This record gives sequence, structure tokens and C-alpha cells, in this order.
Amino acid sequence: MSLFSRFMDGWRKYRKPGYYDEFDYHWTMTVDLDSCTGCEACMTACQAENNIPLVGEEELAKGREIQWIRIERYWEGEYPNAKLNFMPMMCQHCDAAPCETVCPVSATYHNQDGLNTQIYNRCIGTRSCAVYCPYEVRYFNYYNHHWDSPLDQQLNPDVSVRGKGVMEKCTFCIQRIRDAKDLAKDDDRRRVRDGEVQPACVQSCPTKALTFGDRKDTESQVYQSMNNPRAYKVLDELNTDSSVVYLKKVDA
Amino acid sequence: MTTCVVGLFHDPQSALAAAGELKNAGFETPELMSPVPIEGVEEVLGKKKSIIKNFTFFGGLIGGISGFTLASVTAILYPHPVGGRPIITIPPYLIITYELTILFGILFTVLGFFISSRLPAIRNRMYVPEAAVDKFAVAVTCENSEHRSRADAIFNGAGAEQIRDMGEED
Amino acid sequence: MEAENNKLGYTDIHEDVVRSIVVTGPKYYATLATAGGLALVCFFFPWFYQLYYGIGAAGMNHPGVWGTYLASFIFWIGLSHSGTLLSCVLHLTNSSWRKAMYRSAEAMTLFSLVVAATYVFVHVGRPWFAHWTFPYPNQWELWPNFRSPLLFDVMAIATYLTGSTIFIYMGSIPDFAAVRDRTVGWRNTMYSLLSLGWRGTDTEWHRLHWAYTFLAVLIIPLAVSVHSIVSWDFAMSIVPGLHQTIFAPYFVVGAIYSGTAGIVTVMFVLRKYMGFEQYITKLHFDNLGKLLLLLSLLWTYINAIELFTGWYSGTSDEYEQLSFKLFGFYAPLYWEMILFCAVAPLLMISKRFRTSFVPMLILSIAINIGMYTERFLIVATSLPRQYLPDAWGFYAPSLVELSIMVGSFAVFTTLFLIFVKIFPSVSMYEVKETMETPKLKPAIPQAGSPA
Repeated sequence: MSLFSRFMDGWRKYRKPGYYDEFDYHWTMTVDLDSCTGCEACMTACQAENNIPLVGEEELAKGREIQWIRIERYWEGEYPNAKLNFMPMMCQHCDAAPCETVCPVSATYHNQDGLNTQIYNRCIGTRSCAVYCPYEVRYFNYYNHHWDSPLDQQLNPDVSVRGKGVMEKCTFCIQRIRDAKDLAKDDDRRRVRDGEVQPACVQSCPTKALTFGDRKDTESQVYQSMNNPRAYKVLDELNTDSSVVYLKKVDA
Repeated sequence: MTTCVVGLFHDPQSALAAAGELKNAGFETPELMSPVPIEGVEEVLGKKKSIIKNFTFFGGLIGGISGFTLASVTAILYPHPVGGRPIITIPPYLIITYELTILFGILFTVLGFFISSRLPAIRNRMYVPEAAVDKFAVAVTCENSEHRSRADAIFNGAGAEQIRDMGEED
Repeated sequence: MEAENNKLGYTDIHEDVVRSIVVTGPKYYATLATAGGLALVCFFFPWFYQLYYGIGAAGMNHPGVWGTYLASFIFWIGLSHSGTLLSCVLHLTNSSWRKAMYRSAEAMTLFSLVVAATYVFVHVGRPWFAHWTFPYPNQWELWPNFRSPLLFDVMAIATYLTGSTIFIYMGSIPDFAAVRDRTVGWRNTMYSLLSLGWRGTDTEWHRLHWAYTFLAVLIIPLAVSVHSIVSWDFAMSIVPGLHQTIFAPYFVVGAIYSGTAGIVTVMFVLRKYMGFEQYITKLHFDNLGKLLLLLSLLWTYINAIELFTGWYSGTSDEYEQLSFKLFGFYAPLYWEMILFCAVAPLLMISKRFRTSFVPMLILSIAINIGMYTERFLIVATSLPRQYLPDAWGFYAPSLVELSIMVGSFAVFTTLFLIFVKIFPSVSMYEVKETMETPKLKPAIPQAGSPA
């Protein structure tokens, strides 16, 4: 190939928005707001799976909670006619994420599975990604955290424990995704099938309100729910191209 | 023997007049030392060419090219897709280019200043401390004593307060 | 004859400035010790405490992740804007009233930038890795993310710091030479090195003039770009209240505004305590006052436009953020800011006010308090009120933050006090240029006169 055509290929590759021609997998989550009861089992499961620290009463009062997935509560009306809406909110893994561009040291980037990843070791803690995120799903470690024995035996060895000064957020349980991909590779180099990998929150939801899968797989549940007439994305008008699809609650 | 003679004046006009006369009388271009820049030097002693602007221009050019190169090449070395943007984005990299243009322009201007004014001075050069306070000095080299007396006459004619012998020049 | 003898001559300014450097009294040492002590106790000790325990020592929390550290950072960068920028603009317009004050104004710029750079290390969660924001080759082949607004910030501030240092140094070379001749010992060595063997020849003056002019031409667009880039830390987000195109001009105008007020404060102090009453006169305060009035009107206009466009948009997010700013918890601070920055400066319409020293000092301090409040409000009222109402919060600074804020002023004062004893704080050669040449003295017996 001539030098010029090599240069033009490189130019095309590096000028392509998003850089990837296509994702390997495109992990998506669906949240059925009709089924969500606000029980917060997903929050507990996430905390157990991802070594999320319990910041303590004092810190919680100051507003420094770390909840990779949180249940947002909105109510209309007054008691006894109050109507309560629950919205589980976790990192939306936006394809056009505003948080990724602002990190000065590239501690957060979009990987080829469509996930917005956070590299704890590279983070210097400028916290600008938390400012830029419109969903406010990024959490900062204000102190070093300590697990009193025997709680330290509950820590997940697949997930790192973050020190003070780093940002963290929902990763769609990337450690489980990686395990599933490894298993699939060992098992005759096939792709991960729908339902084989479930983040902790999806696995623990009692009403099956959360679903997880690869939207490139046209037979997956998430792909079908994306075509549901109730489907919408939170703050879609900001053009963040999020990967979490919410199904509107039907008012009975 | 070559000596350096310095005449001290109390105001820049007489110093300039003396310098002009010395130049017309055939002496080597005299050096004027003063506590403030003197107006009208170029009319009397001839126009000075400054090469500093070339340094600034080339500094800016080099800075601009290196700014864009730095941003683009380092992005290609370890491609980090962020925010659905391309790896080589023009508006942010133009800002980096702009900053480095100005930085290199500044640094090269300083370099040009040092080179063209021959500072920092390595060797000891002839200096009159009063020229830093309130006197204006005209320094001229004299080949022999005949030149010396002619120079003295010009200095006295222009109203010098003091004429000083600065000894041999290297 | 009497009037002519009372006029200032070259030797007067020379003696005054050299005396200000060489002669040091106990009052100076007492002030320096106080400032240094305050800096240590109020800035460094709380910062080390925070380094050990974590950013939790500050008051930041979940939605309010940015706090007074960033507001102070922007305040100090803003304060740095007026000195060098004003000096450059007035140099290019050949104005004469700049001559007595520009050296100290440029010093103010430099030290504000130094304090702002230190604030970056205070603000960041893991400052021991802050060097990763610089592009240097390393074994991971990892480079900083040049698409990030924070990185434009790093580049811009590094350039501005370099440019300001070089600019103030170049302008001082002839003055270092003049002071060199009057000092002995270690001071003589220091000034000999700093003045680079400057002799004051016509060639040297010519080169200096051109180099200085080119530097001034380069630094003006640089200064405008630096604060625009700092504003884009905010404006490139998509959160309501921050994502506005007016931010770049807003911050640049605000920076020059607060910087000029800072110059007025510094000029008052120099005048009173360094014995420069004859060189920094009512004319300087008058002109600075006119500039401040103009900037205050501009600032008020931009603020009004921001309110108007926010209200007109009718978007609930923008509206909510504006009403939180104007009527929420921090409403008293907002109205105090309007009072100090938009209403009080109107006093400067009267020339009598502009030429009185103490009222101008009080007003300039009030303006800076108002501008600091403005930066604080931008951070504290926009982050706790974003798009999702469940995630709304509240941010208030902690004691550690307030102490570091006070300490940063002490650090700046310490640096400035050291400056007045090393640099000639009033530019000798420029002030001499505004004076008439010395009068003819009676004939002195000449040494080495011709036969």
C-alpha cells in the first residue's frame, strides 16, 4: 500500500467518531419501572459484589454515600393518596459520555464492549467526571475505608478495593462479564449467550425488573425490550446515547 | 595605543549631539550608555536592524506545529476512545496548538533577545556606573593621542560634565 | 528656583527604590514573620492533614464534589489576570501612567498564579500523581488526554506562568543593573547574575524594547485565552447553570475586574508602607478607578444577560438552578455579591471618590470579596441542583477549607513581601522616562581633562 493510502486509512480511522467500527458486545440493561418495588435488593447485592464501602453514619449525614446503583424516589400527591415512583439509577454507560472527555489523565474511557470503564490506578481525583455526569452516578472516595473484621472476609477478591482519592461507579459487574467471556472462549470459542452473565443487581432483583444482555444479539431480551413501546432513556434530550433502557410505568 | 574615552553628559540631547559629531569626524560608531532609552538615537547613529522578530515568528511556527503534533501523535500512540469523539479531534487540539504557539513564541523571543544583545556578558566590558543613575555617557575608542585630543575637543564643545579615561580595551 | 528644586529628579527615584530594597526595618520583619506564620498554620498544616486523611476533611459531598478549592483556584487565576495583561495593553498604547505601578502589578500576577497552582494540588484527590497531567514519556506509553478541558487548563496556566515570569524578568533587567551598583556582598552577586551584565548601551535598549514589545503582543491573547480556558472547565459540562457560552467572556471580564481591584489594593499598600507616595499618585488611582467602573458595568451587564437568558429559556432545569442561586440558601451571598460588585462601584462615577485613597482601598477589597463570592456561588449553587431532583444536595465549606482559603492570602502576602525586597518594586527607568532630565549642575572639576 502506498504511503498516501496508508495515511488516508489512518486519518479515516482516527477521525471516526467513537473510534470503533463496531463493538464486540454492546452491553445494555433494561429497567422495568412497572415491576420495580423499590426494595433496594439491587443496592445490597451491588454493595456486596463490588466491595462498596459503608461510609458510616456521620459521612452519610454529610451526603458522602457511595451507591453505585441507587433507587430514586419521586412521589406525587399527599398521604394517603401519595403515588410513589421508583427509578433505579446506575451508570448509564453512555456511548457519548460527557464524563469521559474531561478526565485529564484518561482514567475513564469507552471500551470495545460498549462499557464506560474507570481505571482506579490512573485516577488522580480531579472529580470533574462527577461534575460532568448529568445522572450524577459517579462517587468519590473521600476517606480510606476500613472493614472491621469479620466483614473484611466478605470482600470480593475479583474486585479491587479503592483507596482514598479515586472515583468509582457502576461497571455492569465487569468482573462477571470477563469471567463469562473467558468461559465462553474456553467452551469452543463461542459468544456469551443471553442470560449467561448477570450483574449482581440483575441477579438479585426479586421482581425481575432488571434485565441485562448484549443488544447486538437480536434474540436477547434486552434487544426485544428496546423495541417495547414503553421504552425510553433518561435525559435522552442530552444526547448521551445511554445503554440503559427504562420501560415506563403504566398507571393503572 | 587604543584607549576608550567616555564623556559624561547631564542630558540626552548633548550626548546625542556629541555622538553625532564623533561619528561625522570619522570615529568608530560611539556607544551611548544611559539610564533610560534615548529618543532619536537612530537618526544620529543610523538605523538598527533587529533580528528578534524572526525568532518570534519561527518560535510561533515551531510551537504551532509541535502543539498539534504533540496532541495528535500522543493520542494515536495509545488510542483512548472517549465520549463518542474521534481520536484526533480538531477543536481541542487547536487550543493546545494555540497555547504552545504562544509559549514557543515567548521562549524564542527571549532567546533572540539574548543572542542579539549579546547578554549575558561573559567577559568584563567597559562600564560607567553613573550611566545607570542620571548621567548619559558617550564612549568612543581612540587610536592614538591625536584622536584623543580631537575627541576631547568634541566632548568639551558639546558640554560634557566629565571626561574619563577608561584604559585599554581588549 | 524653589519650585524647580522641589521637582523630582532621576536620583530621587533611584535613591528611593534602592533604599526600599536595601534598608529593612523591624516592621518589615514583623510583617513577614506574621504572614509566613499564618501561611504555615492556616494553609500548610490543614493541607497536610487533608493529605493524610483524605479529601473528606473538606466539606465536599456527593453532588457537590467541587467546592471552595476550585472557587479559590479560579479566584487566584482571575486575580492574576489584570497585572500582566494591563501592563501589556498599556505598554502597547504608550500610556504614561502605567510606569510607576506595572512592576508590582506584574508581581501580583506571578504570585497569584503560584498560589493558584498550589491550589490544584490541594484540590485533587491524589496530588502525588498530579504529574500525570504533564506530557512526558513514560514506560506505559500513556499520555494525558488532550481532549480534556482540564488539560487545556494545565497547558494554558503553564504557558501563562512561564510568560509572566519572563515578562517581569525582562522588564527588570535594567533595574537590576542599577541596584547592582549600589549593593555589596551576596546581594551584589545576586544582582550581577540577574542583570546579565547589562550596561545600558543604545543597542541593548533597542533590543530590549523590541523583545518587550513582542512579549507584550504575545501575552495579551494568551491572557484572554487562559481565563477562557479556565471557564471551560465549567462551560463544557452539560449541567444546567454551567453549560453556557457566556462563560468565557464572563470569566475574562470578571478576572480583569478582580485583578484591577487587586492592583488598587497593592498600590495603596506600596504607597503607604514602602515610601512611594511621590510616584504612585492620585492620577493612578483615578485612572484605575475609571477602568474599574467600566469593568463593573460590563460585569453587571453580563450577569444581567445570564439571568435573562436563563429565565427566558423556560427550561425547568435552568430555572430551578437560577432560583436556587437567587432565592435559595445562598441568596444572602448572591445579593451581597451584587451589592459589592455591581452597586458599590457606581460610587466611582465621582472623581472625588476615585482620587481618595482610603475609600478606593475599601472599595477594592469589597469588590474582591464580591468576586470571590461569585466564584463560590458558581460552584456551590450549580452542582447541588442538576437534572435529577432525587440527586439534589447541599454543599457548605468545612473549617479546613476556610482555613486554607485564609492561608492562601497569607501565602500570597509572604511571597509579595519577599518580592519587594528583591525586585525593585517600582520601575526606575520607566519612571525616569516620565521625568525631565536633571538640571544643569555647576561645573565639577573634571578628572583626566585634556592638556
